[in-house]
Amino acid sequence: VTHRRRWVRELTTDIGLRSIAALGLFLYVVFIVVPVFMSLRSSFTNQNPLETSSRYIGVANYTEMWHDAELRASVAFTLCLAVAVTIVANVLGIAFATLLNRTGLSYRVLRTIAFLPQVLSGVIVGFVWKTILTEDGLLNDILVKIGIVHTPVDWLGSPHMAQMSVGIVVAWVLSGFTTVVYLAALQNIPPELYEASRIDGAGPRQQFRMITWRMVAPATTISVTISLITVLKLYDIITVLTSGGPAYATESTAQYIVKMAFTSDRFGYASAIAMFLLLASAVIALSVTSMLRRREVDL
Amino acid sequence: VIAEQATPPVARIAPSAPGIVGSRVTAARRRYAAWPRGLRLLAAVAVIVVFVSPIYVTIVNAFKSEAAIDSDPAAPPLHPTVSNLRTALDRPDHLLQLGLRNSVIVVVCSILLLIPLTSIFSFAISRRTTRVRAAILAMLAAGLMIPPQVVLLPTIHILTLVGLDHTYPGLILSNVAGGYFSFGVFVYVGFMRAIPIEIIEAARMDGASGLRVWWKIIMPLVRPATATVAIFLSLWIWNDFLNPLFILGPLTGQTITTGLYLSVGQYQMNYGQLFGIMFLAGIIPVAGYLTLQKQFVAGLTQGSTK
Repeated sequence: VTHRRRWVRELTTDIGLRSIAALGLFLYVVFIVVPVFMSLRSSFTNQNPLETSSRYIGVANYTEMWHDAELRASVAFTLCLAVAVTIVANVLGIAFATLLNRTGLSYRVLRTIAFLPQVLSGVIVGFVWKTILTEDGLLNDILVKIGIVHTPVDWLGSPHMAQMSVGIVVAWVLSGFTTVVYLAALQNIPPELYEASRIDGAGPRQQFRMITWRMVAPATTISVTISLITVLKLYDIITVLTSGGPAYATESTAQYIVKMAFTSDRFGYASAIAMFLLLASAVIALSVTSMLRRREVDL
Repeated sequence: VIAEQATPPVARIAPSAPGIVGSRVTAARRRYAAWPRGLRLLAAVAVIVVFVSPIYVTIVNAFKSEAAIDSDPAAPPLHPTVSNLRTALDRPDHLLQLGLRNSVIVVVCSILLLIPLTSIFSFAISRRTTRVRAAILAMLAAGLMIPPQVVLLPTIHILTLVGLDHTYPGLILSNVAGGYFSFGVFVYVGFMRAIPIEIIEAARMDGASGLRVWWKIIMPLVRPATATVAIFLSLWIWNDFLNPLFILGPLTGQTITTGLYLSVGQYQMNYGQLFGIMFLAGIIPVAGYLTLQKQFVAGLTQGSTK
């Protein structure tokens, strides 16, 4: 009886709290869960905003994906970009963090500055780097003046150069983030560990390998996962910097989905690719996270 | 392809720190080698200066005449001018003023809805059994991972059904209900776990309603979580590009990001004007970051240790 009375009392006193919480869950379901299933459904149709009705066409979109060379190129580019950027951003992050892990005002200022790329929007980052990297841009200005190159290099002009440039810019943005995450991890390492190893005769290299590298493992999990996810959904920086060009060389899968949906008006096909991207992101993020988590335990 | 392409610049920048450490140590053959303080600081300054040079270039050139930029883009503004900034602010389309205004509206409304919604939701599920809570959190974790392109089309479809497509309420609603909701809940749940149950039960004995306990007891205790949620979500919503571009559409006015993209991309402008616009567009998030720096880093630190 007391149980029941308590239940009734809780229900009446908590009605406001519960309804707001339920509203939150409802909105999340309507704007995230339901859309995923709507995308799944329309991936089996030829849905097109210019036509009033759409038809169920089975797995035709998925078989078309298999033969779509532009899609294949975008997937290959996105995966390579994800791997390269993740490696570069994390190596830079650890290096910067190790270098900046000192007390004092100067280091504090440097740490503050190092995070700045992460604060700016992808649109600003894209435009600023574009003015630096174009053929008559600032980088060439400086390089020619110093005499490192004789003729300006078109950093965004040829497919391979443009791919490399996109990688550098994205890694630049993410390095600000990884630096701060690794710094936090480094500052959590008890200094006694280093002192003890020093007494045992360990050099800086051994100290890095045996202490630092292992103690930052949780930070690595976060940094690597976030870097990968960021690249897999990357849209703004590439759109501004290269718009996917030249010759679709820097088109990410996320961009290709948007292009199919809004330029080609092929909602059904775009949804099929979106389903693929969702599955790929989930598999990559979950497997990498569980792999890195295992490493954390394995101290 | 990219991996190979990206290696040279990496090798050039990345290992410079460990490389210098290694060579110095072997040269000195000192076992407990610590860098002389000045040298280490010098190296740190050099590396970070190179790293942020694109931002430096934006700032200095925003205050230089076109001729000064042409003659030496890396030089500091010896004869500073505000004409670039004035040109940017005097544009007939009021790109910056309207964009900043619209972005402020979207960010403020989204955050004012997200904070109570996510904290109340987290408080409500923090009192559920572990199994129910884990199931809900797993569903919310998906929201952090789903690429926005995957849900964009259906979101626009749903907004059209309720008559909110191409409107600010529609954009705000999609912000409040999307992956940002998940982020807020994850931050709050982490903090609420640490609140002793006795405090809440004592308040319940006094007959306080759930909402009252939330407002009077929970919210003051999780203030750092509120700071983290408010700061990071403001920054992300401010910098959002895809959603405002397609949910607002071309005719409803632009946020600062889509406005920059649509008008700067349209026609050629000289570098001075471009840097002036970028400087003014970037100054607000940067100023916000610099003032709230401590909370920023604290937020990231909590995230990486939880």
